[in-house]
Amino acid sequence: MTRAWLLLIGLSLISALTTIGGLSPKIAGLVILGLGLIKARVILSRYLGLAAAPGWLAGFFAVIGLWAILVGGLFLI
Amino acid sequence: MSTDSGTAPERGLQALPGDLMIWVLIVSELLVFGAGLLAFMGVRLTDPTGFAAAQDQLFRTGAAINTVVLVTSGFLAAKALEWRRAGVSLRPKLALIAAALMGVVFLWIKGAEYAHKAALGITFETHPFFMFYYLLTGFHAFHVAAGVLLLLLVSWRDDPDNIEAAAAFWHMVDLVWVLLFPVIYLLG
Repeated sequence: MTRAWLLLIGLSLISALTTIGGLSPKIAGLVILGLGLIKARVILSRYLGLAAAPGWLAGFFAVIGLWAILVGGLFLI
Repeated sequence: MSTDSGTAPERGLQALPGDLMIWVLIVSELLVFGAGLLAFMGVRLTDPTGFAAAQDQLFRTGAAINTVVLVTSGFLAAKALEWRRAGVSLRPKLALIAAALMGVVFLWIKGAEYAHKAALGITFETHPFFMFYYLLTGFHAFHVAAGVLLLLLVSWRDDPDNIEAAAAFWHMVDLVWVLLFPVIYLLG
């Protein structure tokens, strides 16, 4: 659990650094969206306990991943 | 839904940890916020420059701090359940109260952000961006307030099942925030 929390803090820090880094806005946006997706997976698997139900974890992550692809697509248009 | 007694792995709905109804709630909330955020991105296409300019007026540092506050609060709620299941008596209560207090910190930062917008004369009607901003972050803040009350309630009635349900609600609030934050605050 502690590792999951540290990972979430680390990912949040990387998100913050991405916004102030020299990346182009489009690339930075996609990186930040991807980092949010990883954070969502950590919360689903460790905080919400879906690591013990891998089928459900895969299902939830697939739907959220599809949502992120739609958001990313709308962002790039 | 899961138990410690079974030897064979549980399948279907039985595999979900905790009460089924909390998962129905989690899925419902994810669908509502997911649809709202997709609508936000869709409307953004009508005025990307205006949306980017409006987004630049947000308090991004405060929102980033709130991410750390919320994931740390979620960690405390998860530890409270772990400790309660291990038979520890006082630590789960303190962890739940600390988690609730961090929820209050989140709301305080959010309130400061809203007050700053109000001082600048920014309302729902200023720009479509702010309509989505107030609706989505306000609805989320309402869930944070409800979660704070739930955490305090289960710190008093600290049955493991109660803690599990309240913690799951709190993690849902956390999950929505990590998806909402990049879309509303950063994808300019």
